[in-house]
Amino acid sequence: MLKERVGHATVTIRCVVNGVERTVTTVPNRTALELIREDLALTGAKEGCGTGDCGACTIIVDGRPVNGCLLLAPMLDGKTVLTVEGVARGGKLHPVQQTMVEMGGLQCGFCTPGFVVTAVNFLEHNLNPTEEEVRVAIAGNLCRCTGYSKIVDAILEAAKRMREGEGR
Amino acid sequence: MTELKVVGKALPRIDGPEKVTGRTVYAADMQLPGMLHAKVLRCPYPHALIKRIDTSKAKAYPGVVAVVTADDLPPADRDPSVRSHAVLVEREAIFEGQAVAAVAAETPYIAEEALDLIEVEYEELPAVLDPEEAIKPDAPPTRRPLDEIDVSEIEGHVTVDISTADDAEAHRRSPNISNRLHFVRGNVEKGFEEADIIVEGRFDSKMAHQAYLEPQACVAHYDATGKLTIWTPTQGQFYQRNEIARILGLPHEKINLVGTEVGGGFGAKVAPLIQPLTALLSMKTGRPVKLVLTRREDLMNSVPAPRGIVEGKIGATKDGRLTTFKARIIFDSGAFPAGTPVGATMMIAACYKFDHLDVEGIEVLTNKCGAGAYRAPGMPEVTFAIEQLVDEVCRQGGFDPIELRKKNVCREGDLMPNGRPWPKIGLYECLEALENSELWRTRHQTKNGGKPRGVGVAIGAWPGGMQPASALVKMNENGTFKVVVGSNDISGVNTSFTMIAAEELGVPMHMVTTVTADTDTAPYGGLAAGSKTLYSGGKSVQAAAQDARRQILAIASRELDANPEDLVIEDGVVFVPGTDKKITFQRIAALTMGFGSRYAPVVGRGGEVIRNQAPGTTAQAVEIELDPETGNVTVTRAAVAQDVGKAINRLSIIGQMEGGVTQCLGMGLTEELIFDERGKMRNPVFLDYRLLTALDVPRIETLIVEVPSPEGPFGARIAGEPSIIAGSAAIANALRDATGLRFYEAPMTPERVLRTLRKAGTAVSHPVVLGEAAL
Amino acid sequence: MRRFGYLAPKSVSEAVSVLAEHAAVAKVIAGGTDLVVQMKDGVRRPEVVIDITGIDELRLLEERDDGLHLGALVRMGEIETHPLIIEKYPILVDSAKLVGSKQVRNLATIAGNTCNASPGADTPPALIALDAQVHVLGPRGPRVVPIDRFFVGPGRTVLEPGELVTKFVLRKAAPNEGAYYERHTPRKELDIAVVGVGAWVRLNGETIEDARIGLAAVYPTPLRATEAEAALRGKPFGQAALDAAALAAVAQARPISDVRGSADFRRWLIDVLVRRAVTNAVARARGGGPRAGETH
Repeated sequence: MLKERVGHATVTIRCVVNGVERTVTTVPNRTALELIREDLALTGAKEGCGTGDCGACTIIVDGRPVNGCLLLAPMLDGKTVLTVEGVARGGKLHPVQQTMVEMGGLQCGFCTPGFVVTAVNFLEHNLNPTEEEVRVAIAGNLCRCTGYSKIVDAILEAAKRMREGEGR
Repeated sequence: MTELKVVGKALPRIDGPEKVTGRTVYAADMQLPGMLHAKVLRCPYPHALIKRIDTSKAKAYPGVVAVVTADDLPPADRDPSVRSHAVLVEREAIFEGQAVAAVAAETPYIAEEALDLIEVEYEELPAVLDPEEAIKPDAPPTRRPLDEIDVSEIEGHVTVDISTADDAEAHRRSPNISNRLHFVRGNVEKGFEEADIIVEGRFDSKMAHQAYLEPQACVAHYDATGKLTIWTPTQGQFYQRNEIARILGLPHEKINLVGTEVGGGFGAKVAPLIQPLTALLSMKTGRPVKLVLTRREDLMNSVPAPRGIVEGKIGATKDGRLTTFKARIIFDSGAFPAGTPVGATMMIAACYKFDHLDVEGIEVLTNKCGAGAYRAPGMPEVTFAIEQLVDEVCRQGGFDPIELRKKNVCREGDLMPNGRPWPKIGLYECLEALENSELWRTRHQTKNGGKPRGVGVAIGAWPGGMQPASALVKMNENGTFKVVVGSNDISGVNTSFTMIAAEELGVPMHMVTTVTADTDTAPYGGLAAGSKTLYSGGKSVQAAAQDARRQILAIASRELDANPEDLVIEDGVVFVPGTDKKITFQRIAALTMGFGSRYAPVVGRGGEVIRNQAPGTTAQAVEIELDPETGNVTVTRAAVAQDVGKAINRLSIIGQMEGGVTQCLGMGLTEELIFDERGKMRNPVFLDYRLLTALDVPRIETLIVEVPSPEGPFGARIAGEPSIIAGSAAIANALRDATGLRFYEAPMTPERVLRTLRKAGTAVSHPVVLGEAAL
Repeated sequence: MRRFGYLAPKSVSEAVSVLAEHAAVAKVIAGGTDLVVQMKDGVRRPEVVIDITGIDELRLLEERDDGLHLGALVRMGEIETHPLIIEKYPILVDSAKLVGSKQVRNLATIAGNTCNASPGADTPPALIALDAQVHVLGPRGPRVVPIDRFFVGPGRTVLEPGELVTKFVLRKAAPNEGAYYERHTPRKELDIAVVGVGAWVRLNGETIEDARIGLAAVYPTPLRATEAEAALRGKPFGQAALDAAALAAVAQARPISDVRGSADFRRWLIDVLVRRAVTNAVARARGGGPRAGETH
């Protein structure tokens, strides 16, 4: 059992999630993914493996895609987080979301939120990617249903639409 | 039939927007008021007796609400030979990770801590691990003797006549053999005597896992009235409900099973696994309980594909006719029978017109996690054998691999190993399509940067299942429609149902939605397994839509004072051509659902029993590149032709084809559950159970072949499973093309490939390295 | 995860002081990509977790006269995209880019990949090749440990209770020098080395004037292949030198058989990969060779 002198039995975490400031007090032995899913009720990010080997839990922290399942919840303190729930704005799907739907870039959907945030973040840095660059960008996200090509096509098409001004 | 307006298009899934926004609710996402969280204590040994369990400390731990062991199971008609029924170890644990006790607590963290407080005393028993040892008559038993083996679940996947040959076994059986089949035709000894080319080999495909991205999950709530509600991803909610009723001794009507979105199943989410245990905890506590497996638990405790060892021998004439085939297949199903041998034993030689056939399939039990169904169960394993043997006939006889197969494959009327004639199938047409593929036409033309390249071909067939299904098509108050089914959507099939209903009703897609209702409210639907959901269920949806259409026309004919046969429906309007007589669906809805309405509401009902299979067939090719120094194999291109009868939704069909091929490439290259010499699983993590990434999977050329089935909706036949059959065999044949060598073990990991190259002396090596003694 | 207390010091001195206080029961967390998995599995059950990621001074990344200074918290993802590192220290890109996945690399730090002391970690061979000096601060003050003396066993380093790695200083890139890291894995991403080899050479004309070689996943710790280095030193680059180096590396390694490969397979791979790594290091020393991170 934890000794008293060791510090706080609970921690208070302040962070901005999908543009909204959130404050949560919790025990420290939880992951960021658990905090976001259970306490903030943002269940889009999924736990597929819990070891950073599938990418279903991908969230964007301070502009970088990370495995929510490997990040301790207290380490979210002071961070800015984007989850899949924050990608579509004003009821309009992001081009990546739109093309994933249209082009068959999803099947069971469990890996889909991870792919969406990974791809959205990737296109923020490279709006004119090659197929190889897209594949490198999503190589940390496993999909069991599609065989990836349809996801790759959707991201390439989304990039094209965003270049042509359909994005935001 | 007039020209199709919706069916046959490539349309996005109706559930897409929910999924891309992260709003689809999977079982693990659920939170109910007062919900408890469960964790499971698991046996650390592959085979052990439980001498003593003490849960008192865990029960007393603050925040713990219940701790259960096998003693807490209600009396019921459980069959210990069935994986689903082995809820908790009663005395003898028969695989590593089997559930021994479970805790329900206020938080998952408390539940986890409480596990540490449960004391269990085990007596470790010797584990039976090697399937070839385990089939020997004097082998030690994997467990206490079993009586009847229940194969009810597998019958949902594949409907097979088990017309086994009559051969009274001379030798005593091993206690570990759970199933044995034997198909005989002609006289194989004579066949081999007359053959010009004889090829044989022993092929070994290791245990692979379905590795759906969503780990097994369940929420159960047993309320004060004794009603149990279960939310869980399942491929067969009625089957699960019935099994849970049997396992827990509850009447069917006291259980409502709500199938949640399935985050991938591929056969592993058919039978109950963790649901009875979750329900038991809820029954003990009277509160909702959630149990979600970790990936480690899931890989160790679910129902992977069995290992398949095939000793096969094939005979052919010098003019390229395959005449004779003999095989003995051993399936290592782990601790519980899987039923896999039933389909695979019959289908191993089913593609070809052999005069002489002798195929024996043996399922053996060992102390590993119990196998189950994985997409065309057993077929990748047996295809890895026969398609290499056929390929070797081509190599030795100098035959083109597609030409030889075209010459020998079965067509309508040819006999299957069970003695029944094949119905109409498109296997030959798949080979024709593959022959015209970009990959095949440009084989050996692409640059190879100095590394050896090869192209390999393999084919396969799968009969698919049959099961009655029913559907309702209800008109809504605004003239739109709701299709209600009882089958679970694992493949986008509800989108295809929507298309079928829209086509039949004469309305655009957006006027129809399809929903899978729960078992309390849905019309009966069979398993979403055996590729038959669309084949059987689609027929019911079609019939229900036709029924609704008839009701609409009857109302319209009275309202418009016209003969029903003069009426035409287009875009939700009924009219008489050439006149101004017309009535909208919206108007009809108003006439059927208001106060004082003159007509009964439109509710179309469809219930169909399909009595004939519509087998799916496939022909595939892959191109590989080999690193001869490391043994690394890269699949650079792949092509798949598949006969789907009629592609109801082309986007969905292509998705199934690409996904199935990808899974089998994984089985061919990297995917394998590895056990050590004590029977402990070595790689229950996604780091070491390697699904292929976007960088490992090539573009896949998909060739849709449409040879209509006589009974399926719009000629559709089964579609989901065939694409997984041939990939690992095609890789092996491509490696043969590249190296001149045969590769007998799947997955063909770099180390295995390199070992084969080194044995043959063809690995690229350097003067100083190790001698061959190390092999 | 079992429960623990959480502390987040904001300065190195504060970190050293709380680490000293809880030394026996504490684990330092940086990226957490190894530690969190170990805690979930119950392999490690620290009573206190000390989060150092709020300490900005540990994020140092600059080239000074004595070489490249890499703060403990520099992430793999920063290494693989940093223009200076791409240009002058491409072996760091080769190795960092292979760790886990992009998501993992956005968490994982250079100190974490080192202090976790996994024999199969990818960056230690590159650090060995670049003769990294590990700067450590503890209750008894600072000290510097050469990277090849940093590891003690699987999961074990020379760090004393209460000590913290603050930065790595790497030998400055010079003309006629080149370094390269390559590993073998069955997959192209999301994988871990079956064998990894980092090689650094300094050329004098056709002669390999000096060499350093680090190996991953072939020994209880990341291994400096001193015998292979000796086999190269002073020799003209060519088949004979490669043969000798490969043989020496194989002889010095002590690989085990595990789920990722047999000892025999690993020996074979050492032979193959030492040749490839040295050849590519030489190519880079000559001004060519693979681009940074181009290892497959």
